[in-house]
Amino acid sequence: MTYFERAMLAAIVIGAVGGFVGCLVVLRKRTFFAQALTHGTYPGAVAAAALGVSVPLGAAAASVVLVLVMTGIARVRNQGAQVAAGIVLTGGFAAGAILAAVVPSLPVQPESLLVGSILTVTDGDILLAAAVGVVALALVLLFGRSIVFSTFDQGGFRAAGYREWPIELLVLGLTAATVVSALPAVGAILAIALIAAPAAAARIVTSTYRGMLVVAPVVGAASGVLGVLASRAFAIAAGPAIVLTATAFLVIALGGSKLRALPWRASAIPVETAEDARTA
Amino acid sequence: MSLADALFGAFTLPFMARALVVMLVLSVIAGVVGVLVNLRSLEFITDGLTHAVFPGLAVGLAVGGASGVLPGAAVAALIGAVLLTWLMRSGIASDAGIAVVLTAAFSVGVIVVSKSDDYAGALEELLFGRVLTIPPSDVVPLVMVSAIALLLVALTAKQQVFRAFDAAGSRAAGNSAFALDLTLNVAVALVVVAGASTVGSLLVLALLVVPGAVARLLTGRLWLLFPLAGLFAALASWFGLAAGFAASVGAGIDLPAGSTIVAVFVLAYGVVLLGRLVRDAAVRRAASRDASPPTSSIPAAGERVA
Repeated sequence: MTYFERAMLAAIVIGAVGGFVGCLVVLRKRTFFAQALTHGTYPGAVAAAALGVSVPLGAAAASVVLVLVMTGIARVRNQGAQVAAGIVLTGGFAAGAILAAVVPSLPVQPESLLVGSILTVTDGDILLAAAVGVVALALVLLFGRSIVFSTFDQGGFRAAGYREWPIELLVLGLTAATVVSALPAVGAILAIALIAAPAAAARIVTSTYRGMLVVAPVVGAASGVLGVLASRAFAIAAGPAIVLTATAFLVIALGGSKLRALPWRASAIPVETAEDARTA
Repeated sequence: MSLADALFGAFTLPFMARALVVMLVLSVIAGVVGVLVNLRSLEFITDGLTHAVFPGLAVGLAVGGASGVLPGAAVAALIGAVLLTWLMRSGIASDAGIAVVLTAAFSVGVIVVSKSDDYAGALEELLFGRVLTIPPSDVVPLVMVSAIALLLVALTAKQQVFRAFDAAGSRAAGNSAFALDLTLNVAVALVVVAGASTVGSLLVLALLVVPGAVARLLTGRLWLLFPLAGLFAALASWFGLAAGFAASVGAGIDLPAGSTIVAVFVLAYGVVLLGRLVRDAAVRRAASRDASPPTSSIPAAGERVA
């Protein structure tokens, strides 16, 4: 497999997984949380690179700590989830930048952790992303009903006697795993687009939860492929190219739905005229 | 190096004095604006603005060199503020939509930077700032930009607080929600502009979010929030600069100044948070001690007094 074919494969797998898990993130309105997670894993990635262990491992460890800290801060009176996310996010970046400066000889460029470098992904990275995808699919197949219930009717879910934290934990865990597996390809800053954009686009074009779970991975994978191709054609960085492609899908979906909403066929308005009666 | 050297002596150096002046002005104003960000729960929008400013920084740097950064950022910030206010109000974009649009803006910035000669260096400087190498000619524009932000917030402070606590009431009283949102977003955007060219576009969010959060932990009185946030921001940036200087010159560890300041902000938040939790726990214990006697048995006469 050449490095370019491997990049294509990585783009397909990571895009599809991001789109799939992104549906849960978008529907449950956890975008800012996911954003904080993507940014906060940066110091973990830098530390792992400095210690010589695998970058996803460090990022995963960092994300576990971050989830705990964020849920902790969010429960304090007068603080809330947004404050927690903001603090974790900037704290993470500052810690990462300090680490990158203090560690004298970092084997990878810190920039590649921020905006990704899909052309240098390893088979291990692709396997990890595929594994995350399989686990996510299995969990959604197993617990889909509960996830949907708690997402669309939180009060009803609680009133029906279910506990909420297992579902929340499940979705947060999947989000963190997706972020970690997307890190090598698109980096800490841009990963959120790969999670949010395909899902948001799918939400516009389909009206069912299941449809969204099918369309979003397709959009994600397509963004990955087109992004990598565009990156080669125009000689631009791959991570931003993938993000811009995903954004273009969202814009097209938005534009399409706005256009469809326009009154295209004037005959849709029932007007009783002699002409109508004759042609009907 | 003694403590006094780090806290006072360091700032006799011209570049440190310049950094201190800019950081004090910027962080105090960011703290005051941040209180409103906190009350309105606009942290996500603020994060969005920091991303939206990035392409402006990049284009400014590419077109006009170092002196083009501030105008470029200002233009991008104003466009971003108007666009975000509109997106928020029209309801066509959810959280996810905003995240996507702003990451896309960021991507454009990265692509512009990647076309320049010194890709890694330029990107790092734009992302993590250059507190210690602010050129003397930049000090006045930076202070001016921050001052305009403060003026915008000061003029509308009462209406902003009204809108934060009672949006419907504020509209009914004749305040234009769009004008208020736009004013606040422009103020945030201006702080982001000033911050992006000093502590960097990734870290400026800390200046806007942390002081407000700390003030909320310290007091429940509304108008005390603003001075407390400003005071906290000033102290934290002073200590942050001093700590970075002490580590670099005294201990020989080359800490990036912007990141050190933000780390001090976040650490101080952690300390205040712990203090608050401990105090809350003590209050709860005291309350439960007061409340428990009736449930157990008839209290002895002396027990209530203790």
